[in-house]
Amino acid sequence: MEAETEPFTGLAAVGISRRFGAVQAVANMELHAPAGEVTALIGPNGAGKTTLLLVLASLLAPDSGTVRVMGIDPMKEPAAARARIGWMPDTLGVWESLTAREILTVMGKFYRMPKGRLPARVDELLDLVNLAELAEQKARVLSRGQQQRLSLARALIHDPDVLLLDEPASGLDPGSRVSLRRILRGLAADGKAVVVSSHVLAELDEIADRAVFVNAGRTVLVQTVGQAAAQGRRYAISALDPAALAAELTRLGVSFDAGKGRRDSVSVALGTEAQGAQLLADLVRAGVAVTAFAPAAGALEESYLGLDVEQR
Amino acid sequence: MTIMENGTGPAPRTDAGPSGLGAYAAGVWAVVGMELRQRLRARGWYIMLVVWFGLIWLVTALTWASWKVQSSAQGDFGGVAGSAANGPGPLIFEAVLAFVLLFGLLVAPALSANAISGDRAGGTLAIMQVTLLRPGQLLWGKFLASWCAALAFLVVSVPFLVFGILQGGLGAGHILVALLMLAIELGVVCALGVGVSALANRPLFSIVVTYLVVAALTFGTLIAFGLGMMVTDGTVQANQVYYKNSYVATGPDGTVDPSQPSGQPELPQDITDQNDQFACYGPMQDQRAPRTDRVAWLLGMNPFVVVADAIPYPDRTSAAQQQYAVGAFESISQGARSAQAGPEATYQCANGKVAASYLSPQAPLWPLGLGLQLLLTAGVLALAWRALRTPAGRLAKGTRVA
Repeated sequence: MEAETEPFTGLAAVGISRRFGAVQAVANMELHAPAGEVTALIGPNGAGKTTLLLVLASLLAPDSGTVRVMGIDPMKEPAAARARIGWMPDTLGVWESLTAREILTVMGKFYRMPKGRLPARVDELLDLVNLAELAEQKARVLSRGQQQRLSLARALIHDPDVLLLDEPASGLDPGSRVSLRRILRGLAADGKAVVVSSHVLAELDEIADRAVFVNAGRTVLVQTVGQAAAQGRRYAISALDPAALAAELTRLGVSFDAGKGRRDSVSVALGTEAQGAQLLADLVRAGVAVTAFAPAAGALEESYLGLDVEQR
Repeated sequence: MTIMENGTGPAPRTDAGPSGLGAYAAGVWAVVGMELRQRLRARGWYIMLVVWFGLIWLVTALTWASWKVQSSAQGDFGGVAGSAANGPGPLIFEAVLAFVLLFGLLVAPALSANAISGDRAGGTLAIMQVTLLRPGQLLWGKFLASWCAALAFLVVSVPFLVFGILQGGLGAGHILVALLMLAIELGVVCALGVGVSALANRPLFSIVVTYLVVAALTFGTLIAFGLGMMVTDGTVQANQVYYKNSYVATGPDGTVDPSQPSGQPELPQDITDQNDQFACYGPMQDQRAPRTDRVAWLLGMNPFVVVADAIPYPDRTSAAQQQYAVGAFESISQGARSAQAGPEATYQCANGKVAASYLSPQAPLWPLGLGLQLLLTAGVLALAWRALRTPAGRLAKGTRVA
């Protein structure tokens, strides 16, 4: 992607390896998260996502490899790097007897933020994650989703340039997911480098600009969402009369198989979105009453399933 | 700490605060404030305070009642006992002090030993580590907060110590020195607890280990001292002891009849030293004696010895006063100091000298004991500091950083 000497704006990790005893958690992983973009970190459970994020967050020293946070080496200058990193762990980890406002305030103090500006910043973040009404509630009484949002606000308190989010969407209701998406896109638009690890692949299609696929501790694929969408994908088609749909597809020479979903649909592999549009037009023109015509899976999910990753 | 300016990123927005020591202290205070806020909201702490108050009250009341019974019994016999004549003050003071120290040693690990392991289990430790907080700030903050929580127990017991002082026989200096030493001992245990909690992965484990360390200091030092005394069995140059009052023949009516032969051997001629009880005579010989002076430092590490030895008591070596210790703490102090003095000073007729039954105030043992306690604490905290450093190089087996 870029040479070691070239300045790279964002987060760059090259050749990261980390072993826990006999387990090689991460082996020669590579990740580049440019500023202004959202980078998805995708992989099965145990692929090394959390370990990689811990290394990137400067909590864990890699056995080998280099990390640059906005050009800073966190191994050599952890304080300078940490001032620029916001990290949201996959475990909730809230101080249960403190209120949301107190938690954000004390985090600001830990980041040595000037006292005068701190209350305004706390209010701003409480508004951003929609917790303003619950600001005086103890974290104990917050729901899981609310704690998750508080955790996000906590990672943002010092306005970091690089944001590392480990499973930020888990436990969020649909409304919160939409607002998370909005927040992350907003941060990317502000020029932050955002790294998101998640299992909810359909969600990432909407959030991420690029994806890094990892499996068994290795980076197996790097692609942008545009590339993923262009690589061809399966479409699920349903019609009022399934027989007519099947007959028309056969006539058009499109190979199809019975869909995997619960509803009576067929699945068709298409190379590009243009081909999809063409097929839909053909079907409608032939008088097939199409009720649904949509990608069977998200672009990133398609990539992920194509990787044939193994879980461990 | 300086944040390096660098070309690629925007200027850091978080380094606007004071720098150097002020910034370090500010971080420590942020941790202390957060910890105390959490502790003040925990109900268990208040329950423990109430139970504590009740226990100390009970100890005071029972001590006072027992003194009442004793003094009235002595009054019936018409005797004026020394301790009764002094009033119940010293008795209550010592009883309360001993119990406060005992309970304090029991409570302090509970207040401190899950400080960091609890955060680790709750997933909040890594969140603090990823900020600009440094391991030292984290340790200082956690330690100061747990010490404050422990000192609250001391504050609750102050009225009872004051009550003891008001009963007479003691000065305000006693209470100040005693409180200071208790506070220091609680601080040592809290610091040990925080240090152990940084090394352990589970709160239960760190609490148990801290209790074991406290037990080692309280009981282990006694056992080690006893065993060490046997190991360091040495010799001392001493001659024979003559007991002057070992045997007195009494007549049928209980009076001493000087005309009766008492069976007491004649006072030997070659006396090297004597007082009204003992005389030393004869040639010097190697006598086996435990070299307690070599293992007295073990005894010195005992929290009870440190507190007892630090509290001042009058010099009783002058002939006008009774030549034995009054009160438990003074006895502990004297015992420890005679162990420190070793057989040269305490073995009867060592070097032909009569051993004093009461040691004059010499080099006290508590600075050595407290120094060793602080050394141990500093060692544990240094290991704790290493364990909290990030980016972490090595992890304990089964540890998850986040």
